[in-house]
Amino acid sequence: MNAIEELNALQESRGWLSEEDLRALSRRTRIPLYELEGISSFYPHFRRTPPRPLRVGACRDLSCHLRDGGRARRQLASLCAGRDDVEFEEISCPGLCDAAPASLVNGVPAAPEDVARYVEDPSSAPREETVPAPRRWQTDPYAGPEDHYGELRARVESRDFDGAIARIADSGLRGMGGAGFPVGRKWELVRSEPATPKYVVCNADESEPAAFKDRVILEELPHLVIEGTALGALAVGAEAGWVYIRHEYRRSRQALQRAIDDAYRRGVLGENVCGSGLRFDLRVFVSPGGYVLGEETALLEALEGRRGEPRNKPPFPGACGLRGQPTLINNVESFAQVPRVLRTGRADLKFFSVSGDVRNAGVVEVPLGTRVREVVERCGGMRDGKELLAFLPGGASTAFLPADRADVALDWEPLAAAGSALGAGAIVIVGAGADLLDLAGNLTAFFREESCGKCVPCRIGTEKAVVLIERREEKGLGLLPELNEALLETSLCGLGQVALTPVLSVLEHFPIGNDGSRR
Amino acid sequence: MSVTLTIDGRGVTVRSGTTIWEAARGAGIAIPTLCHDPGLEPVGVCRMCAVEVEGARVMAASCVRLAEPGMVVRTASEKIERCRAMLTELLMSEQPDVSAKERTTADDELHALARRYGVRPRLRRGAARPRDDSSPVIEVDHQACILCDRCIRACNDVQHNDVIGRTGKGYRARIAFDLDQGMGDSTCVSCGECVAACPTGALVNKPISAPLRPRAELAAIDTVCPYCGVGCALTYHVDEAANRVVFAEGRESPGSRGRLCVKGRYGFDYVSHPHRLTRPLIRIDYPKRALSSEVESSRRERRKPGGIVDYDEVMPAFREASWDEALDLVASRLREIRDRSGSGALAGFGSAKCSNEEAYLFQKLVRAVFGTNNVDHCTRLCHASSVAALLQMIGSGAVTTTYGDVENSDVVLITGSNTTSNHPVAATFFKDAARRGTKLIVVDPRHSGIADHAWRFCRIRSGTDVAFYNGLMRVIIEEGLTDADYIAEHTTGFEEIERAVKAYTPERVSGICGVPAALLREVAIAYGEARAAITFWGMGMSQHVHGTDNCRCIISLALMTGNVGRPGTGLHPLRGQNNVQGASDAGLIPMSYPGYQPVTSEAARARFEAAWDAKLDPQTGLTSVEIIEAARDGVVKGMYMLGENPFLSEPNVNEVRKGLAALEFLVVQDIFLTETAEFADVVLPATSALEKTGTYTNTDRRVQIGRPALAPPGEARLDWEIICEISTRMGYPMQYDSASEIFDEVVSLTDSHSGLRHDNLGATGKLYPCPNPEESDGTVVMFGDGFPTGDGRARFVAAEHSGADELPDAEYPFILVTGRVLEHWHTGVMTRRSRALSALVPEAFAEVHPEDCERLALEEDGFVRVRSRRGEVTLRVRKSVDTQPGSVFIPFHFREAAANVLTTDKLDPDGKIPEFKFCAVRLETADL
Repeated sequence: MNAIEELNALQESRGWLSEEDLRALSRRTRIPLYELEGISSFYPHFRRTPPRPLRVGACRDLSCHLRDGGRARRQLASLCAGRDDVEFEEISCPGLCDAAPASLVNGVPAAPEDVARYVEDPSSAPREETVPAPRRWQTDPYAGPEDHYGELRARVESRDFDGAIARIADSGLRGMGGAGFPVGRKWELVRSEPATPKYVVCNADESEPAAFKDRVILEELPHLVIEGTALGALAVGAEAGWVYIRHEYRRSRQALQRAIDDAYRRGVLGENVCGSGLRFDLRVFVSPGGYVLGEETALLEALEGRRGEPRNKPPFPGACGLRGQPTLINNVESFAQVPRVLRTGRADLKFFSVSGDVRNAGVVEVPLGTRVREVVERCGGMRDGKELLAFLPGGASTAFLPADRADVALDWEPLAAAGSALGAGAIVIVGAGADLLDLAGNLTAFFREESCGKCVPCRIGTEKAVVLIERREEKGLGLLPELNEALLETSLCGLGQVALTPVLSVLEHFPIGNDGSRR
Repeated sequence: MSVTLTIDGRGVTVRSGTTIWEAARGAGIAIPTLCHDPGLEPVGVCRMCAVEVEGARVMAASCVRLAEPGMVVRTASEKIERCRAMLTELLMSEQPDVSAKERTTADDELHALARRYGVRPRLRRGAARPRDDSSPVIEVDHQACILCDRCIRACNDVQHNDVIGRTGKGYRARIAFDLDQGMGDSTCVSCGECVAACPTGALVNKPISAPLRPRAELAAIDTVCPYCGVGCALTYHVDEAANRVVFAEGRESPGSRGRLCVKGRYGFDYVSHPHRLTRPLIRIDYPKRALSSEVESSRRERRKPGGIVDYDEVMPAFREASWDEALDLVASRLREIRDRSGSGALAGFGSAKCSNEEAYLFQKLVRAVFGTNNVDHCTRLCHASSVAALLQMIGSGAVTTTYGDVENSDVVLITGSNTTSNHPVAATFFKDAARRGTKLIVVDPRHSGIADHAWRFCRIRSGTDVAFYNGLMRVIIEEGLTDADYIAEHTTGFEEIERAVKAYTPERVSGICGVPAALLREVAIAYGEARAAITFWGMGMSQHVHGTDNCRCIISLALMTGNVGRPGTGLHPLRGQNNVQGASDAGLIPMSYPGYQPVTSEAARARFEAAWDAKLDPQTGLTSVEIIEAARDGVVKGMYMLGENPFLSEPNVNEVRKGLAALEFLVVQDIFLTETAEFADVVLPATSALEKTGTYTNTDRRVQIGRPALAPPGEARLDWEIICEISTRMGYPMQYDSASEIFDEVVSLTDSHSGLRHDNLGATGKLYPCPNPEESDGTVVMFGDGFPTGDGRARFVAAEHSGADELPDAEYPFILVTGRVLEHWHTGVMTRRSRALSALVPEAFAEVHPEDCERLALEEDGFVRVRSRRGEVTLRVRKSVDTQPGSVFIPFHFREAAANVLTTDKLDPDGKIPEFKFCAVRLETADL
């Protein structure tokens, strides 16, 4: 077991990580104390104090903030104050933006009005979440469970993985994690690496504020994720893979694990994939937490049992990834799209997480190129009849666009041309009345909280930016472009590079109000 | 493979795998950096070295980005400068008002960048971060920390102490020690490598013996550490006006590679201690007796729990004298004893702390002027048995390869060596090897620090080494893992070993040693199958009545598997003192002249009689313990003691006391008034290693020059001058102009050193033999083509398990193991006068297993009385699972509870080394 697995096991059995237990662990495993300290203080999942019976967490990030999350947090905090059997903490986005303002009780999503009841009587707190019935999605090419894994079966039969890669490449399928790297090309690169063994990782660490589509895909279409991952593995020549999933996604994890178990039972996974004689084992690795772990090399560090600090690139994981071996890493949705792409040759559908000032926040599946205005309508229109003020088309790392761009097509190039990006497919709709500087400040604060701290520009720059935005002084805000240049050019990973993108877009597109706000 | 790229418009060709930063540096282009240090793995976290790479989306950190063919790089542009200025500004906005580094050595790298970029404070100051004052030697200011991770890499990748890491995340991340303890409360061993690496005021040295001053105002003296046999190259930064060393730094060398331990880095201030002797002293207090209460009797009530001698108590026994008076007295008394009772009534103890030149002159004085071979030094107490076995079996007593050669080994056997405490910097190379996957096999009754890095740790019972290694050899023979070609070509007597080890089945050995038979087999096979196996050993092997047998076994093991004479193979007894190798080389031992030429050899004697123009004694002299016994018995009547403190270092102190007290005349030449000097008739103030020129030979056979950093205090004189004065006044004129001239004489009589001169030893010395010192660093691996024995072959010598001299019984049920701690040196004369070292470990203690503590109702930090058949001491209890149940470990540095009051003076028959590692004691609770 690596250090993270050891700490997970220790916390599982003792409830928390005491100094005494950590010292004993270090003696037994020879993992130095400093490593245990470094890891256990880095990941929010690990506790160095005994847990109280009831633990309430309230999201502080954008979609919840937009839905009066600040007030909800203050109420919950005061509810919990003074109770030695209840602890309260503000948490980073748990991916429940469709239920904003989101809160969790002992890790289980709970509506704020229910939390009061649980605080009253901690024993009444729910232990498990209920899993809703899966819906029908167009991305799923199969009529029913019996047809699942048909594309995988066909490919292992024909052994035509080159053909599979070509078909994916021709479809134009791009990575759905944010960067949009062409999937076919990535597979081809890893396939052509001579070193073995190779590995495959499905990145299910969706942690960006307002992003929750992967959660829904994992809950409702886990077989597509498994099939796409297995196809990727066989195509590049990997025999082992992991789904790296954020620990908050308990419901998704359950659904995924059930599907993996089922796939093993059906002979789709394991030492003889669909009777082909090829081997592929897929395991679930639960992230001990943190947005930065979605960065693929940080994720690899975590998989290897270290602090999740991104690596310097190059080398890229395709050549030198997990344990220094060629590693294919794709996002949940990228893998989930693969069966349909192979069947139809088309990569024209896209999942979006839609939250903010719409009536029915949730995940929508629409053709690429759909307009923002149509997406808002799909979500029941604007909440409380508000006017559209602005929107964030791709999530926390993309630029805000003003309402007059609401006809922009949701696709890679048109969004880039409009000055923003498709990003992680997390659309946040902002209605009139909101102060965009406040919202951008909220996003900047998120990046500060989630910065791993490895490199100087991100570690200190995000903090300084938060302070400058909070102070709202013209002179201070004037420093932001210069600060942004340093972050963009010199940050070690994408987190720092994009951290100031939203705030700069606000300063660019929205006029300053008398109170310093941007509306 | 090479790579050609363009940097700032110039074509640059570098080896493939070179970073842009290195490539630029090679082309004379300096790219600023804070986190990068060429001695450490690059991490690319400060981003200061960002450069523009044509075609790239964003800039690249040049310290981690490899040069690629055709790459076009710009290292400077307006944008680059803007970004670097912003990064500097960000860092400066988090700094304290005053940088501890600017305040002290004035070389804060961040402040230098801030000046370069003209950074003005535009950003709000960050939240205060704590200071940590808990370490006695290092000041930690988290506010000044820029998280460049240099200290982390220095601690974990260079020294492998594994103490420093990052805690927390993002803006709140900090460096932390262990589980975020204070540095002084953590497992930090104060090696100071982190301070050496830190670019800012986050980690700075605390003052040791003088206020810290800007580096530029200090004189930098390149010399050698005065402590252990690793012989680390270092630089003392000296305030010449104050005549004080301000701080010490490791210096690049092929051996120590710039690393230091706590003693080397922080333990230099003893030389400036007020106790330094500055004028000759003549005793006025007769009849002679011990002067301090600790020396007078181990049973006397102690006044305080620890500490050095109280000069007020001892000094009234002496009066100050002029050099002329003191030297005349010494010469006349020694001459008078020699003339009255014969040469055999005189003896001399030299010191492995002194230089080759001093060791040589001292033995020359004893041999040519005293007329006896009664000359010895503390080698007798450390590796005498190793040398005896090596000389007998391979014809040479020195190491066959260097400690650094471990990088070429795939299996390392470390046995009877507490390497992390006693050879800390050599240990860093063993730990490097372990990190790279080399299999470390550690064999020891005690779990010392190096065992934490072992692939397999064999915790044998004390004193069962012969059985263990015979068992190992039996398995190797049985498994067919011997190297038949090597045995046939390079050895004789293998049949003797085959016969001898037959009876040592793994099961029987397991019963004797307490190590599972399967483990024995596993390590035997690993050693036997090794491509290159190397063996390091320490005093756990040598300090036994069967010490020579112990060493014979590991030598046989190496020979039968062909593990001598190739890179990564060899035999390396880790030498203790900075110059124990050199002192022995220079003839400071009773059986041989310089270069191990036996005094019993006619030819050798003729050579030295001719060279020294003196009649020499054909008889082998007495060894150190024998000399003390002879003094007690009235046979040896007069002694010259140069830098040795036998009162604490020899076994069975109560007998040593009698011996020293019985001497008619004792002259002690030292830098402090030692316990031994309490019995002196004349005390001569000598110079420390920091005050003189001389060569020192480390454990690797590296002969290095020590250079004076300080002026000697008062009237203290160079040791070699004092020897010359005594010799001349005894009627044998000795006249040298310099240490260099003496070295030339040593070399002229020591064939292994031929070609060496002070002026060709260079900055980092030479490994002897070094046939071509102008070109080469010297010989690493010896005996690839045979051994310096008569027939060129090594000779197997078998050994039988015999057990210790004094086994535990009902009355004395515990095994006493003596040894050392990292922070102290030998009899504590130097280290207990070092502020830092004595603060780190202020007093004596006994390490006892928690189970034994419980049984005997001993409390942590409470007191225990330890009693043997020879004496008793009372000292604090330290509970530790590192010591086996049934054993007690006591370091011998502490005069107030001298471990050697308890030890036995029984000797190994060949090496004449006492059994410091085994005697029977009982433990009792005690109050103090």
